Amino acid sequence: MRLARGVPWILDFLRRMMPPDLRVLPAALAGALKTVEIALLGTAVAALLALPLGFLSARNVAPGAVFYPARAVLNFLRSVDTLVYALIFVAAVGLGPFPGVLAVVAYTTTSLAKLYSEAVEGIDPGPVDAVTATGATRLQILRYAVIPQVLPLFLSYVLYRLESNIRAATVLGFVGAGGIGFYLQTYLRLIDYPAASTVLLVTVAMVMVVDAISSRLRDRLV
Amino acid sequence: MIEVAGLRVVLPPATAAIDGIDLVVSRGEFVAVLGRSGAGKTTFLRSLNRLVEPTAGTIRVAGRAVTGAGAAELREIRRQIGMVFQQFNLVRRASVLENVLAGRLGYVPAVPSVLGRFPAADREQALACLAQVGLAHFADRRADTLSGGEQQRVAIARALAQRPAVVLADEPTASLDPSLTSSIMDILKAINVEHGLTLVVSQHQLETALAYATRIVGFRQGRVTFDGPPSGVTPSVARMIYGDGS
Repeated sequence: MRLARGVPWILDFLRRMMPPDLRVLPAALAGALKTVEIALLGTAVAALLALPLGFLSARNVAPGAVFYPARAVLNFLRSVDTLVYALIFVAAVGLGPFPGVLAVVAYTTTSLAKLYSEAVEGIDPGPVDAVTATGATRLQILRYAVIPQVLPLFLSYVLYRLESNIRAATVLGFVGAGGIGFYLQTYLRLIDYPAASTVLLVTVAMVMVVDAISSRLRDRLV
Repeated sequence: MIEVAGLRVVLPPATAAIDGIDLVVSRGEFVAVLGRSGAGKTTFLRSLNRLVEPTAGTIRVAGRAVTGAGAAELREIRRQIGMVFQQFNLVRRASVLENVLAGRLGYVPAVPSVLGRFPAADREQALACLAQVGLAHFADRRADTLSGGEQQRVAIARALAQRPAVVLADEPTASLDPSLTSSIMDILKAINVEHGLTLVVSQHQLETALAYATRIVGFRQGRVTFDGPPSGVTPSVARMIYGDGS
């Protein structure tokens, strides 16, 4: 009912966004680039940080004394969303892309560690037996029996997280953590709807481009 | 070569898979372990290199105590024990040569091997083992592009790359087309005869076991019910092992 009454307002809002103000295009593109950078850097760092955590929280690799605490810490940290981390890091280190990267790293590390550990738990135990039987060390078993099985999965999870992080990083600007979200919020507050619509269109284009590249890469992995 | 005394293996929660086995295997024997599924054949073989932890009893292989060995010592003993599995257990995405090189892991320097580097001599050995099973031309192929019979031959090459004193084979032909059984068993026999390696092979097919082995050990409910030459396996002995009609 409230939605139905809101429809004219939404239509009015959309009408006032037309036509997009292309004078802000350079600023929007620069913001988009910054957002992509935040997501790329944050995801890349998290992909590496999550590696040890992923193995340590896999039931079939880590000893119980390590596995249970690792799982508990991960579950605790993962319950906080990227945006909340951004608020915390903006408060801690100030405005700009740096707290944005930290926020992406914090959330992505824990969520990737969880995905990694599930991939490790899902491996075929046969090759592990076989490599163990050759007299290999734990590290060698990991390298020759576990990693070859999980690496393509890991890479596809990282790309998937990258796609999500591009979207998450868009919103980061709202709380002052850098990127295109900052422009979107600014123009909306200034009631400059044509400028805001340009920023919005750039955002949509950016997300679509990254999704397309990433999903093509993922297809090739599997 | 293999000395087992008073071996008991209790699998969780409380199944006595091996319930008191004493067995001595001499150098160069080709022992076929027979028995119904669930008789303890697989558990027995896997306890010999402690892929399964024995609950009680002692195991010695090539003069060294397997039971009670520390982690480093156990790895050294494992190098001497090649193992072939029913499901081949190759790393499917890795190349054939990489799979065979895994057999050298117990010998090569640890850090370079984790980085994927093997000494040239070990590569040559791996290639030689691959040639021995007639698959040298597949060295660079991905393991999962090979047929089942070929994958099992790669697995045998991996075991040979260990320069083992003993080879354990757990139902090596059970997941293969019956027409491939002899090709795998012939290779195992050749290893046994030409290199004097001691073989312990579990088999569910009686005829195959009788045709290749020099000694038959029958398992039933985790105990040895028959131990003797293939010529001693009369129909009544077979019934005793397999429990038909009793």
